[in-house]
Amino acid sequence: MFIDVYGDTLCALVSAAALASTGHNVTMRVPKGPAATTLARGGCPFREPGLAEMIAEQTTAGRFKLARVDEPVHDKTTVIWLGLSPNDTHIAYDAIAALPSGPERSWLLVNQSTFQVGTTEALQKALRDLPGGETAQRAAVAVPDLLNEGTALQSFLQASQWLVGCDSPWAQRMTSEILRPFNRRIDRMMFMLPREAEFTKLAITGMLATRLSFMNDMANLADMLDVDIERVRRGMGADKRIGDGYLYPGCGFGGLAFSRDVMSLASTLQLSGIQAQLLDQVLRINERQKESLFRKLWRYYATDLQDRKVAIWGVAFKPESARIDNAPALRLIEALWAQGVQVHVHDPRAMPALAEWAGGPRDDLILHQDPYAALVDADALMLVTEWKAYWSPDFAHMRASMKHPLLLDGRNVWDPEYMKEIGFEYYGIGRR
Amino acid sequence: MTDAKKRQWDELLSHGATASKQHLAELFAADPDRFSKMHRQFGPLLFDFSKQRVTEETLAQLFELARTHELSDWIARLFAGEKVNDTEDRAAMHWALRLPAEARCEVDGQNITAEVHKQLARMERIVAKIQAGQWRGATGEVITDVINIGVGGSDLGPLMVTEALADFTTRTRQRLNIHFASTIDGSQLSQLLRDKKPQTTLFIVSSKSFTTIDTLTNAATALQWLQRSFGRRANASVLHCHFIGVSASPEKMTEWGIAEENQIGFWGWVGGRYSMWSAIGLPIALKIGMQGFRDFLAGAYDMDEHFKNAAWEDNLPVLMAMIGVWNTNVLDINGLAILPYDGRLKQLPLYLEQLEMESNGKSVTREGQPVERATCPIIWGDVGPNAQHAFYQLLHQGTEAVTCDFIVPARRYHESVHHDAADELIAQHQLALANCLAQSRLLALGDAALKDPESQPLYMRYRGNQPSSTLLLDELNPYSLGALIALYEHKVFVQSVIWGINPFDQWGVEMGKRIAMSTLGKIRGEDNELDDTDVSTAGLLRRIRAEWK
Repeated sequence: MFIDVYGDTLCALVSAAALASTGHNVTMRVPKGPAATTLARGGCPFREPGLAEMIAEQTTAGRFKLARVDEPVHDKTTVIWLGLSPNDTHIAYDAIAALPSGPERSWLLVNQSTFQVGTTEALQKALRDLPGGETAQRAAVAVPDLLNEGTALQSFLQASQWLVGCDSPWAQRMTSEILRPFNRRIDRMMFMLPREAEFTKLAITGMLATRLSFMNDMANLADMLDVDIERVRRGMGADKRIGDGYLYPGCGFGGLAFSRDVMSLASTLQLSGIQAQLLDQVLRINERQKESLFRKLWRYYATDLQDRKVAIWGVAFKPESARIDNAPALRLIEALWAQGVQVHVHDPRAMPALAEWAGGPRDDLILHQDPYAALVDADALMLVTEWKAYWSPDFAHMRASMKHPLLLDGRNVWDPEYMKEIGFEYYGIGRR
Repeated sequence: MTDAKKRQWDELLSHGATASKQHLAELFAADPDRFSKMHRQFGPLLFDFSKQRVTEETLAQLFELARTHELSDWIARLFAGEKVNDTEDRAAMHWALRLPAEARCEVDGQNITAEVHKQLARMERIVAKIQAGQWRGATGEVITDVINIGVGGSDLGPLMVTEALADFTTRTRQRLNIHFASTIDGSQLSQLLRDKKPQTTLFIVSSKSFTTIDTLTNAATALQWLQRSFGRRANASVLHCHFIGVSASPEKMTEWGIAEENQIGFWGWVGGRYSMWSAIGLPIALKIGMQGFRDFLAGAYDMDEHFKNAAWEDNLPVLMAMIGVWNTNVLDINGLAILPYDGRLKQLPLYLEQLEMESNGKSVTREGQPVERATCPIIWGDVGPNAQHAFYQLLHQGTEAVTCDFIVPARRYHESVHHDAADELIAQHQLALANCLAQSRLLALGDAALKDPESQPLYMRYRGNQPSSTLLLDELNPYSLGALIALYEHKVFVQSVIWGINPFDQWGVEMGKRIAMSTLGKIRGEDNELDDTDVSTAGLLRRIRAEWK
């Protein structure tokens, strides 16, 4: 099929590349911005394993082409695929208005964007309002973006479930056909109404966030009660009713999509006059959690941090990502700056994004290419993003470089007993 | 009193003997241009005194009185930093707190502007940190509640202004709440401590001398509340993270335990009731931001310059003061009601009560003689529309002559915070404006404002002739409020010159504090001699002690 994919999100690119890889002819339409520029130069705006390679491959094969958002669509195009940012609903409506129409012209619109609940139905109405809507097939389906950032391509190619929100047999058949290659071994498609699919997506994100914030709450209690949260986590995870996913306490979750979806759910409920009390708390706990390492440092040094040096390992909002959107490290850096601390940072990939965020060079932010260089004369090390390379570093080297061997482990990757044995002072999240 | 002064008083009184016979309704009927002749505009303030019982002749007489009392010299002395507060041997330079950074002001070889701006910079640093959500409590939590502990000038001014300018609240990532605790009995503090968290609460202890018992007892209660939560061992952190001190006495602040970097200073030459322009105004800056606070200072500074430079005929503080003298000393009116038609100014009457009555509630002249004429009238007030349901009955039909200051902004509710409900709220403000104009009109004209009054029974009729001024603000904002308060400050000063008294001391409030300390021992049972008081006090003490057994 000829499919036009709209959007500058990770979801749009992953979908476009994956669809092209199964033989579809994909036209990628990216709204003006940094992502569009990078793509036009032959780059890939997202550092997702396999994504850049797949885009290059499909471009060479001639099935992945770039076009402007406002260029007319190909004669053979029958499917419009939306992976737009939450604020870009107008692009969706503009694209629909510009579609060729008439009594013979059928259209399927697949909406993967995280818009307000109910938007897919509104888009369907706009499609049907185009001339010929009475005779031709016109439908919009909601297929929420359930990608895992960091393993995004994989989570499309071998999706564990497909939520498909549609309200007509034709739309259901068409969607099944498009997703057929990604739904082979077991049928993982679940059909429901568009608004139900949209809401499910928000509810999933909200639930995951709730589990994380709950564990962080538990970890803070564990700190006070001298309980090791790691053992508690294993015990909980062994209970089948609970399961072991999303139970890792840490110094807060970040990420563009995650925070934005949870907030979107909270605001969806607020608009309807219902108080999303739990989600509101979930977000608050998370914001507070982002500063947990700062609070530990603040107390350790008896509320005076002036002129100290602190190293931070990892600023990306999660490992394998180059992005820092809503990352806990940002809140930490701001808090440290405000107390007159000089911050030394290492991150394998997110340094360019951090430099841009900091807005030019400053004396209290030093970026290091070598993680050990960031530790020289440091009064503490904060581990914020659990890049694999940080799991088993050269501890002796670290110990020798630091002025004071204080480790604040925001992801509980190191073993407290061992760290103490080799001469560090160690504080994790809910364990020490 | 010099002969010239006596002569001018006599002339004024004899003019008053005839002028006072004219009803305001007659004055309005006689001159259709009365409003255009009898209002002045300065900046955002329109001062309408056409409803005062004065004529152009009266004003000329009043200016002559001011001349014989050497008003110009006194204004010059005030702004030269001379020791106009003679009983305490110091200057009164609250105006210097409002000087822009580039203004030159040297007194006794001291660069006053530089000192003032140095403390403003300290204030700015603290405000920025708190508003950014980067002021941390002892456990590292973000401070979200600030409680100002102070009394009198360290309470009334900041309280009044933070309420008045709530529409200009700075948006912060985490909501920042400002509270006030003043009373010696701990009433407000106990309420506040009940639902605030020690980890996120910061106290500002404000006291010029840092010895005020009311403030220090409240501060001690706050400290103990924190210590109960954090443990005594954390004392240094608690003081470092949870207390800011504002005082003219750094030694006393240090002695109490305020960390040096958390101290902001001001000077002996700032009177308590004139101190919100200094770091005492920290709660104001926390509420509306440092830029808002600077706008507030700018409004007052422009009023200072107007007061110094404008001809008396156009000089708002001089006009307002001299009309007040006329009302008090010639028309024998002993009451002044402050009536803001804007709920945000609810605290303004209280503030002006202190400003005027603590300043000019005196009966001994600068020469040490008893005064020969009445000085400050009794001042009270409330938000106008509410007071209409309370004491306006007395204004309209009572036996007391009272003069009123109506204060109202012309525009309201166009700020973005009100966007959603703007239409409804604007309609409400129009209603307040209408009430304001209606009341001053009826008070002035009486029956003449009505159709066919003779047909009504006597109890439904209005005597009128109650004089009033109307201060119409373009809108209520930091700048216009600054100008308004400075206007009243200078009015008070002008009147003190005419009455020959020192408006900057307050000896009358000192002795009571001392007697209270000796009475405290009798209540606590440390001193069992009750009969060295008086029978009333002794009787009450016995009853109280019986209750405490």
